[in-house]
Amino acid sequence: MRCFLVAANNRGFTTVLTMACLGSARLCVRVQEKLCQLGHLSQITRNNSTCVRSKGFPAFITVNNSQKCQDNSRVSLPLNNSTVSSVSGCWHPCNRPETAATARNYATMRTQQPGPLPVYQVDPYRLLEDDLRDLYEDIRLQLRKNTFQKELYDVATYYFDGQGKAIRPMIAILMARAINYHMYKDKSDLLQSQRSVAMIAEMIHSASLIHDDVIDQSDFRRGKPSVNVLWSHKKVTMAGDFILAVASMMIARLKNDDVTLILSQVVTDLVQGEFMQLGSKETENERFAHYLTKTYRKTASLMANSVKSVALLSGADAELADLAFQYGRNLGLAFQLVDDLLDFVSSSAQTGKPTAADLKLGLATAPVLFACEKFPELNAMIMRRFQEPGDVEKAFEFVHKSNGLEQTQYLAKQHCQEAARIASIIAESAFQKALIVTTDLVLNRMK
Amino acid sequence: MILPKLFVSIFNNNNNYRACFSFTSLNYINRKINTTHFHHAKVAQYQKPDWNRAVSEAEKIVGYPTSFLSLRWLLSDEIANVALHLRKLVGSNHPLLKTAKGLLYNGKNNMQAWGLIVLLVSKAAGHAKNIPDLEQDKAAGVLHSQRALAEVTEMIRTSHLVHKGLVNLQETVEDSANMLFGNKIALLSGDYLLSNSCVELAGLRNQELVELMSSAVRDLAEAEFVGPRDKQNNPLPARPRAQHEYKQFNENGIEPLVVQEALGNAQAEWTLRNVLNAGSLLGKSCQGTLKLAGHPTELQEQGYLFGKHLALAWQACLDREPFLQGSSGPFSLVCGPVMFHLQHDPTLYEEILKGKDDVNDVDYDLIRKVVNEGPGLDKTQELQSQHSQSALDVLNQLPSSDARTALANIIAAIQDI
Repeated sequence: MRCFLVAANNRGFTTVLTMACLGSARLCVRVQEKLCQLGHLSQITRNNSTCVRSKGFPAFITVNNSQKCQDNSRVSLPLNNSTVSSVSGCWHPCNRPETAATARNYATMRTQQPGPLPVYQVDPYRLLEDDLRDLYEDIRLQLRKNTFQKELYDVATYYFDGQGKAIRPMIAILMARAINYHMYKDKSDLLQSQRSVAMIAEMIHSASLIHDDVIDQSDFRRGKPSVNVLWSHKKVTMAGDFILAVASMMIARLKNDDVTLILSQVVTDLVQGEFMQLGSKETENERFAHYLTKTYRKTASLMANSVKSVALLSGADAELADLAFQYGRNLGLAFQLVDDLLDFVSSSAQTGKPTAADLKLGLATAPVLFACEKFPELNAMIMRRFQEPGDVEKAFEFVHKSNGLEQTQYLAKQHCQEAARIASIIAESAFQKALIVTTDLVLNRMK
Repeated sequence: MILPKLFVSIFNNNNNYRACFSFTSLNYINRKINTTHFHHAKVAQYQKPDWNRAVSEAEKIVGYPTSFLSLRWLLSDEIANVALHLRKLVGSNHPLLKTAKGLLYNGKNNMQAWGLIVLLVSKAAGHAKNIPDLEQDKAAGVLHSQRALAEVTEMIRTSHLVHKGLVNLQETVEDSANMLFGNKIALLSGDYLLSNSCVELAGLRNQELVELMSSAVRDLAEAEFVGPRDKQNNPLPARPRAQHEYKQFNENGIEPLVVQEALGNAQAEWTLRNVLNAGSLLGKSCQGTLKLAGHPTELQEQGYLFGKHLALAWQACLDREPFLQGSSGPFSLVCGPVMFHLQHDPTLYEEILKGKDDVNDVDYDLIRKVVNEGPGLDKTQELQSQHSQSALDVLNQLPSSDARTALANIIAAIQDI
């Protein structure tokens, strides 16, 4: 499942480390830490070496991986092009059966029962290839139907280019199909309304990304110039409102009062999460609770409530709907924790956004909060939002010297395990297996 | 409204807290402000008494202040946050402050009247007999759901105005830290209002209504992309085209409007811009409130027409104002008088084009002088009368009531301004 390719050309050695480890997260973290310290301590090493792990996520979504990677490297750190392109795309376990076979031996997540469909063989993206293929096209069509103005259409569809991870639509459709099977066995296909929820989830997410870009003044997202660089702030803001309005019209057409309420709550959560990000708390305990609530509102709420919605549309009772919700919530929390972790260990070529971006925005995420235990001097920095010169660099260093990254990974892993446990309650099917595999993809992703 | 009231609380932290924290109407606040030593009192007094009377009489009829600030908002963390942050912005010249002021002091264009009109239409039309007692506000003669809708209407409109008040930062060098922060707050405040209106609307459990109101939000966003724009996204009229046939654009509620055809034709372009900008929201709110009351589709559509025509009449009236005797200063380049003049004499477009980077680069006094000598003002007034009449025609289909009279008075007050 995991492949590391370490190339430190200037030092004259090339190490190819292939680790197939479904569960050996700690080892991975240690390796990550090593790699990053290496990069951090020596500027030369940092500039010329890179660590790339399997791009497991976009294997079936990205059409032209190597092209994209090279684009990335142009716009960010001076990366070794050949290294990047050599690992793009082909490291996915499903592409490399021998890797997948070892994955089974290392699997430590044994919450699920062995069954006719071994977990390691299920690839969510391949499973949903047909469902996801036209998803972005359909979203663009919806937006197209709602305006005759080209410029508005261009801004609004900028992030619906099929380059995203599409994790929200993916888990929504997986859950929809898993619950449909759970309730009706083979008698129920994916409902049109459930597919709409998958689209709506991605649209709400994009609308919030677009507004985030204006707020954060970010320059790059997903390896291309972010939307606020290309268009004026007012137009970008309006385009965000436009996407939200169209999504809201689609929600209304589902004709389900409860689903409308649930998905509207998501929008409120997103905004409240953004407000929470403006302030921070004085004491450490409060701060962590504040961070977790913020994380729920900004990320997990959308995932949790969209999977709950598809469950309700399937006719699930309150208990089953709550099960779906808890799966989404745990997965969402883990997703964001890993995101915050990657901000410290990943290079911008992989994530498509600059490293330590959160620190630069003055945000203290889990790794920093954990690092506070060992380095209390971080507290003062958090309170002044890393504004003073050198703060960002110092905090970055402290995080790597502490075991903040490890603890963050551990917390994420706990949430993933909980999500996998919940998914294992649903009747066994390929989709249910894929839900479990997804928890692993989320935990072990590199972008 | 939230922002204006916060604004009052920021600027009048000595003596006006009482007004801010009670459920009072905007006009009530305005009156309070008049009695205090407040430096903007002059602006408030500028309102014609007729207008004030029409609104305050109308407020009494629906038995409820038309301001919707409720305690749950005041007590929420987010709003407390916004208040704190707004305070930081005082002294900078971020337009968010101007937006907030505009909401408060521009009496003739105040938001409050929008919610008020929705409530008056609700009361004037009554509701179907099968609506349970529990859902009615008997004293006011409207349904609780209709009151919520009126609130949603105001939230959507305010949110749009706040978002419109962002600054396009690439061009602004000076004071950028403040501007950036102001943008952040403006964007989040607008989003907050929008998301609250989503939840409030969802709570009404009427999916047709959700779709209708969402399409109004979409129209507002679309309005900001119509025609040429300067660097701050201020609109400029499209180059006038020689007399071409004007096809009435389709209006069946949910579908978006066709923009391109209307551009360059004064009346079509003006109508399109203002339907998107204002008419759609007020029209759809009036339509929606009749939907909530259980009226037949035909009457709901009449509701849309009423709201739309009223909003357009209103806009036409506002557009004429900067051309009245003794006026000075800038005005919108897409206002009725300018657009009609362009149709009449396209040479004025050369002057308009000077504002293509920044609308403030045009010579407003020159344009005012030229327009005043042309047919633009008369045509705008004519258009206003048509819209007022269309609104009255719808009104007259409703049974006579105090609410209907109040609406008629408001329309008459617009005519007089």
